[in-house]
Amino acid sequence: MQKYKTYLAGYAFLLPWLIGFLALTLGPIIASMYLSFTQYDLLTAPKWVGLDNYKTMFNDDFRLEDSVKVTFKYVLLSVPLKLAFALLLAIMLNQGLRMLHFYRTIYYIPSLLGGSVAISVLWKQVFDQEGIFNRMLAIFGIEGPAWISNPHYSIYSLIGLSIWQFGSVMIIFLAGLKQIPQELYEAATVDGAGIMRKFARITMPLLTPVIFFNLTITLIQSFQTFTKAFVISGGTGGPINSTLLYSLYLYMKGFTFMEMGYASAMAWLLLAIIAAFTGVLFLTSRFWVFYSDGGK
Amino acid sequence: MLNRKSVSFLMLSSILALAACGGNGNNGNQGSPSAQPSSSASSSPSASQKPAKDVELRMAWWGSEERHEKTLKAIELFEQQNPGIKITGEYSGFDGYFDKLNTQIAAGNAPDLIQMGGNIKEYSGKNSLLDLTPYVGQAIKLDDFTPSLVREATDNEKVYGVTLGVSSSALLYNASMFNKAGIAIPADGWTYDDFKTVTKQISDKLGKGYYGSYDLSSDSATLASYLGSVGKELYRDGAIHFDKKDMVDWFTMWDELRKSGAIVPAEVQVANPPTAVDKSLLVQGKVAIQSGSASQISGFQALTQDQLGLVTYPNGPAGSGMVPPISGQFITAYSGTKHPDEVAKFMDFLVNDPEAGAILGSTRGVPPSAKIRDALSAEITPVDKVLYDYISLVSEVAPDVTYQQFPVDSEFIKLLQVTSEKISFGAASIDSAVDEFMSEVNKLLEKAKQ
Repeated sequence: MQKYKTYLAGYAFLLPWLIGFLALTLGPIIASMYLSFTQYDLLTAPKWVGLDNYKTMFNDDFRLEDSVKVTFKYVLLSVPLKLAFALLLAIMLNQGLRMLHFYRTIYYIPSLLGGSVAISVLWKQVFDQEGIFNRMLAIFGIEGPAWISNPHYSIYSLIGLSIWQFGSVMIIFLAGLKQIPQELYEAATVDGAGIMRKFARITMPLLTPVIFFNLTITLIQSFQTFTKAFVISGGTGGPINSTLLYSLYLYMKGFTFMEMGYASAMAWLLLAIIAAFTGVLFLTSRFWVFYSDGGK
Repeated sequence: MLNRKSVSFLMLSSILALAACGGNGNNGNQGSPSAQPSSSASSSPSASQKPAKDVELRMAWWGSEERHEKTLKAIELFEQQNPGIKITGEYSGFDGYFDKLNTQIAAGNAPDLIQMGGNIKEYSGKNSLLDLTPYVGQAIKLDDFTPSLVREATDNEKVYGVTLGVSSSALLYNASMFNKAGIAIPADGWTYDDFKTVTKQISDKLGKGYYGSYDLSSDSATLASYLGSVGKELYRDGAIHFDKKDMVDWFTMWDELRKSGAIVPAEVQVANPPTAVDKSLLVQGKVAIQSGSASQISGFQALTQDQLGLVTYPNGPAGSGMVPPISGQFITAYSGTKHPDEVAKFMDFLVNDPEAGAILGSTRGVPPSAKIRDALSAEITPVDKVLYDYISLVSEVAPDVTYQQFPVDSEFIKLLQVTSEKISFGAASIDSAVDEFMSEVNKLLEKAKQ
């Protein structure tokens, strides 16, 4: 009976999300499965075409190829850098600073604003050829390139923006760091361990569950990034498809080129890619994630 | 937790919400238009039959700030004359306008009144637009329109739109920059050689950061006119009428201009796209020439002290490749509108009401109604005069062809842009970029046939 009550409370807390999922998300998911086998221009009824969309995707869409390459580059660079940066700051903030709350809030602000269109617009202004960033470089006699409108650099400006939004990852790291018992460090100090050794032998292993969590969430979010690329490239994914992240190309196919069937198929491919990545993370996790309670 | 009381409360409120959504549907206005012959153009404020409930319409358009203000003012006037009808404007820039519209149509909640461009037939062919034929001659008077303007909005012998303004593609130039550089302003009949000379001179004389022209290699209107001027054609009847060599010539010409410094470098072009009026370097007095629709001149001129003007695209060996003036924009109705009568009434108001005509001016091109046009010519503003003169000039010089738009236009534009960027950023050679362009164009033609 006691147990039943616990479950009930759990489901009660889950309910708002569950209602939203059933009413707003599940239907569209099923519909997109069906649409991925059709040719659908949004204006007239979908037409069944079997596997055609999937065939085109793998054989005959050079822009999709560009888009996948750009997305992998974005994910593989921004995720590790963002985690490393967030961890570094979390460790710094965990050194018993005075006014910790103040710093924590300050560092969290970019993440609060981060998803918004306004920040992307601001980013565009800052890293424009004649933006503030290049004007600062000019003081030191450096002539900066057009960070956003040059295809060699544009993706890095998106990666930079992603790293800058490290706040929520940092907060979770900070909470994880606070969980590590101080006695361990004290004992290690007595045994003569230095800072690096303590970090490698105590902090990192005990933090792995938090790293695992942050890595998974950040990875999924990165694969789905849309707003930044859309706003900064003016909706084009340009120059020369250099910022054509997967979600942006999917949007373009569905809403600009009116190929919603194809866009739905792309969505399922993205799901498969994300599932593969998280699957690998979960499968390997037992080799590198350590739970202090043995994972029970 | 939920109990019976809260469940029934939820049920009740959702029923109310549903009822609210459907509320406007039952005003009995769905009968045939001839049932209400009195709903014609210049109705007095004391409308004979005031609807029992306010009718609310939504209207979507794109444009610059200047067009937004004028359109909102015209709507206000209409609302004063027709108590009981409210029109909410849903306006934006051109970027993303059709993306949003597609989504709204798919979801079944598109605006009642929709501004359309040359792609009107993509929508009428798919039953997204209301057939206006029953209203023409009744609520909507098109008597003094040039017949070709009505034809452009006609598909399968049904009228789907009303022309809001006549325009033509054009080169917009910044006359003040020409004067500053001490160079004669280009005139109709100039050639691509003249273009090369003039743009180079401007770049040289005005110095770093100033350019003779935008890079128009990515502009489909300029390309269409260029192909015409060398005796080819961009598109007609399901096929392209140019070959690889023409495209190689085209991109080579722009590549030479780029290398000589006559046109803006690739990075500047991407950062300041000429399509966005707030970014246009023409308005900022840094680039002397850009391509656009002639009617854009009023929006552009409103933002600068510099003197702007319009000139035709350069001639080639086969003469002028200009396309005759066409309907720049249409006002159309969503096929799912619940108030077709009010919609028709407002459409007529936009093009035939003298006061509305005076408010709107030439913000969407030269007004299609001869009466309004004459009234406007009587007290014409300088910028309107530039537009009027240009449109009548183009009517004279353009070869007598019926214009056909490339069927999947938005994709063609995107393809041309990416090809142009590959060349301008040096990511591909002209030859390989054009090969890819030609094969992609053929795919687009295939798609259009489906």
